[in-house]
Amino acid sequence: MPNKTGLVFFPAFDWAITPTHPEREERLLYTRDQLFEEGIMDLPEVVEYKPRLATYKDIARVHFCVPDIKAQVTEAHLIAAGGTLVLADALMKKEIDNGFALVRPPGHHSMRVVHGNRGFCNIHNEAIMIEYLRKHYGLKKIAIVDTDVHHGDGTQDVYWHDPDVLFISFHQDGRTLYPGSGFADELGGPTAFGTTVNIPLLPHTTDEGIHYVLDNLVLPILEDFQPDLIVNSAGQDNHYTDPLANMRFTAHGYALLNEKLKPDLAVLEGGYAIETALPYVNTGIILAMAGLDYSCVREPDYRPENFKESPEHMDYIKDLIAYLHEVWKNRKALAEQRQRRTGGYYERRRTVYYDTDNIREQQEEKVKLCAKCPGYQVIRSRGLYPTRTERTVLAVALPWQACSECQEEARSVYQEYVNNPRGLDFVYLQDKPRDTYLQYSVSGRSEMQL
Amino acid sequence: MLIGLDVGGTYTDAVLIDHGKVIEKIKIPTKPEGLLESLLSALDPLLQAAGGREIQRIVLSTTLITNLIATNTVDPVALVLIPGPGLNPGSYKFKATQSYILSGAIDYRGREIEPLKENEIKACLEAIKKEGIKRVAIVGKFSQRNNSHEQAVASYFASHAPELQIIMGHQVTGRLNFPRRAVTTLLTLATREKFENFYMQVLQVLKERGITAPLYILKADGGTLPFTQSLTKPVETIFSGPAASTLGVLALTPKGQTSVVLDIGGTTTDLALILSGKPLLASRGAKINNDYTQVRAFATKSVALGGDSILRVNNNSLEILPQREGPAYCLGGPQPTPTDAMRVAGLTEIGDERRAYECMKRLGAGLNLSPKDTADLVLKQMVKKIAQEIDDMFLSWEQEPVYRIWEILQKQKIRPQNVVGIGGAAPAVLSLLGEEMGCRALAPPHAEVANAIGAALAKVNLRLSFHFDTERNFYFIEENGVQEKLPIPILSEDQAKDFCFTRLRQEGQKLGISSDEELELVYSEVFNMVRGWRTTGKLYDICVQFPTGIMENWLEERKDQSAE
Repeated sequence: MPNKTGLVFFPAFDWAITPTHPEREERLLYTRDQLFEEGIMDLPEVVEYKPRLATYKDIARVHFCVPDIKAQVTEAHLIAAGGTLVLADALMKKEIDNGFALVRPPGHHSMRVVHGNRGFCNIHNEAIMIEYLRKHYGLKKIAIVDTDVHHGDGTQDVYWHDPDVLFISFHQDGRTLYPGSGFADELGGPTAFGTTVNIPLLPHTTDEGIHYVLDNLVLPILEDFQPDLIVNSAGQDNHYTDPLANMRFTAHGYALLNEKLKPDLAVLEGGYAIETALPYVNTGIILAMAGLDYSCVREPDYRPENFKESPEHMDYIKDLIAYLHEVWKNRKALAEQRQRRTGGYYERRRTVYYDTDNIREQQEEKVKLCAKCPGYQVIRSRGLYPTRTERTVLAVALPWQACSECQEEARSVYQEYVNNPRGLDFVYLQDKPRDTYLQYSVSGRSEMQL
Repeated sequence: MLIGLDVGGTYTDAVLIDHGKVIEKIKIPTKPEGLLESLLSALDPLLQAAGGREIQRIVLSTTLITNLIATNTVDPVALVLIPGPGLNPGSYKFKATQSYILSGAIDYRGREIEPLKENEIKACLEAIKKEGIKRVAIVGKFSQRNNSHEQAVASYFASHAPELQIIMGHQVTGRLNFPRRAVTTLLTLATREKFENFYMQVLQVLKERGITAPLYILKADGGTLPFTQSLTKPVETIFSGPAASTLGVLALTPKGQTSVVLDIGGTTTDLALILSGKPLLASRGAKINNDYTQVRAFATKSVALGGDSILRVNNNSLEILPQREGPAYCLGGPQPTPTDAMRVAGLTEIGDERRAYECMKRLGAGLNLSPKDTADLVLKQMVKKIAQEIDDMFLSWEQEPVYRIWEILQKQKIRPQNVVGIGGAAPAVLSLLGEEMGCRALAPPHAEVANAIGAALAKVNLRLSFHFDTERNFYFIEENGVQEKLPIPILSEDQAKDFCFTRLRQEGQKLGISSDEELELVYSEVFNMVRGWRTTGKLYDICVQFPTGIMENWLEERKDQSAE
């Protein structure tokens, strides 16, 4: 029996952020031409699926949308997220061995609280898929490897406190590229310390450097973590022709990466070299996932000798890998130290910038530290909009693993804020153990349940 | 008067239609001696019935291409591929006599990204000559966006070996899909000569009978073409039989409705769908001899369940096996079959009633059922199975991938209003099936020759799919391989559409399509080409057509029926 690779191809030929924006109708057009001309969909190893619409509840499992989900998503977003769910179902029903959701709009910059679009993303397709798999199929341990050139700060935010979801992102150094985060010392919250792994790479890193990172850090950590599922957050903008970034990765490099990584599910993220990269990178990834020969997939100007790493880059990479290995090895001890240091609650404050919609968000996050479970989180978020208006929300996030005390406590925290919503516009409860999602509107004095 | 004739694998059917009435219909077993003999035995009685009155048109549908492929009597062809980057071309398993791979590549915009190598072309020709192959198909990836590589190889071959018959991929089909283009081009060249020879014989015998009516050939997409036009792409006439049946049902049922076409034969049950008056096409093209092609064909499904399927009891439960071992028991066959059950249930009068009872009794013994109850159970099971298959067909239509938001939102659950039976065994189980599916069961008059009626009434169709690239200042037509500089600047979608419609009218005239025939826009899409935040051009994909269908005013029976 040949390998079966599921494919959802949803180019959203009728959706754009603005007509000349990189995230526009034309983005997957030449990819379509290449895939169709190759006859990819006819291969016995490839099964094409039609996407469906994700539900609001699928989204509420991940996001606190302000003022509500409807205001943040278009039909295109529901279909892109729904496309990943179709593949998740097909994988779990064993109709396919792995799957690639070639969908747009992308999602890996969307954080838990959503005031608007940042980094071309409104809602997080992979996180919606992963939470769906945890709810409907009881998956426990999941690894996400972000192969986009930009730091997957949305993914990092969603899983910062989750010890069962390993997030590994390699990307162009945040000092040189949006979103300006993803440094090696960002390692996860105190209850999930070490399960966030950031690998910032210097501009112009090539196939050789990226594969060195993969072979010597990413794959060994995955082997050690033993996830039930590996997800590739499959951006394609590390490509040497990408107009928005500065790396030197090739279609062959991407295909080989997927051959080694063996993701169960891959979801398209960024990649804006719509002519020079995407047609070749996507063909390469699909062939690699389907176990087919991709050696003839190459860019017109591809010469392997142009993608060797400089000694300085290799020294930097080796040094970085050594540090991250050390952290990974000692992560449990380091986590305990941190929890002791912070006492009963851990708090952090930060600001989040929404580049696309020009929104500034101020966030205070409080995490209950519990001996029995990863605790729960209370987030107070104030969105400052370009219209000089603002909204403040309070969100209580209760994870799947929460113990019964934490569950009760989190629910009563939500109730307290509903009873006394000082200065708030909305109060949310994301109750994953009950798979119930509440949103209380202060001005409307009404509660919505999903 | 119109003549429609369908030489099928089992039966040859023919009708003569005049002023909206079926004047004469013929159904005879297809002769093993050959297609021409079968064709003539059905045609001659019709000509007699016509009694010398003028025949406007003869439309033929035969299994010629199917037979050539099934018996592997197609002509040998050398396949020359110019694949460029992508799948490893070594993995292709095309059924060519010999295959050759050349360097050179064109990209999705039609730009050359790798030149041809002349020494390779030369060596390739030497090899073909050495093999003694006389026919060559040259197919390049993205040749529909730039045929210069195919042209260069073809002209080199033609000038150095004028004896070769050469065909190029872009001449056959411009739809995206290189492997399908290769298969379709190969089949086109491999069948062209025999197709032409056969129909020249047909023309000859018609001439001998003094018939001057123009000859049309039915295609798999339910459209028909004047014989001379069909010569360029004979492979399009494959599977014209099922297309003829579907068109026949279209002609015999009320206009604009959604129907299932049901043909229960001895071994199989064949299904086709008509959605709101439009036959459903296979989404990407027909599968021929286990290969995907670019041949447009109606979506049909063949289920291994027929009147002669074997019945047996296994572990106290009744099974209908997917095979046939001979005729029904009541007709002297070896095994109990659904036909025997129909006989016992009183749904048919063919065969020996006593034998039917006898085999149902034996079958029922294992189930503790009377012969009558056994027969009912058989029919119930058969009907359930067919209903399930029909449902699956609608489901897979709903699940066909689409690439735009509006298409996803729009595609809704549709279920049939009618189930229309045309095959031998169909009328007997039709009403049971209608009950099971909650829709109307129709067995229209002349249903047994619906295929011949469909052929007789098939319209000439024509579809043109345009691709405009205003940045490169080019336009392309998928169906006929046109690749030309834009004669006028295309500045808007409306202007592009006008250009397409004008061209369609012109091409239609060449096929004799009347100028008041209705034109249809199949799709129209515009993409802005943005480079560095500036719009540098537009891509338009526009498809227009004279749709497939039937000549409405030619059948009165249908009007009578819709009035009911």
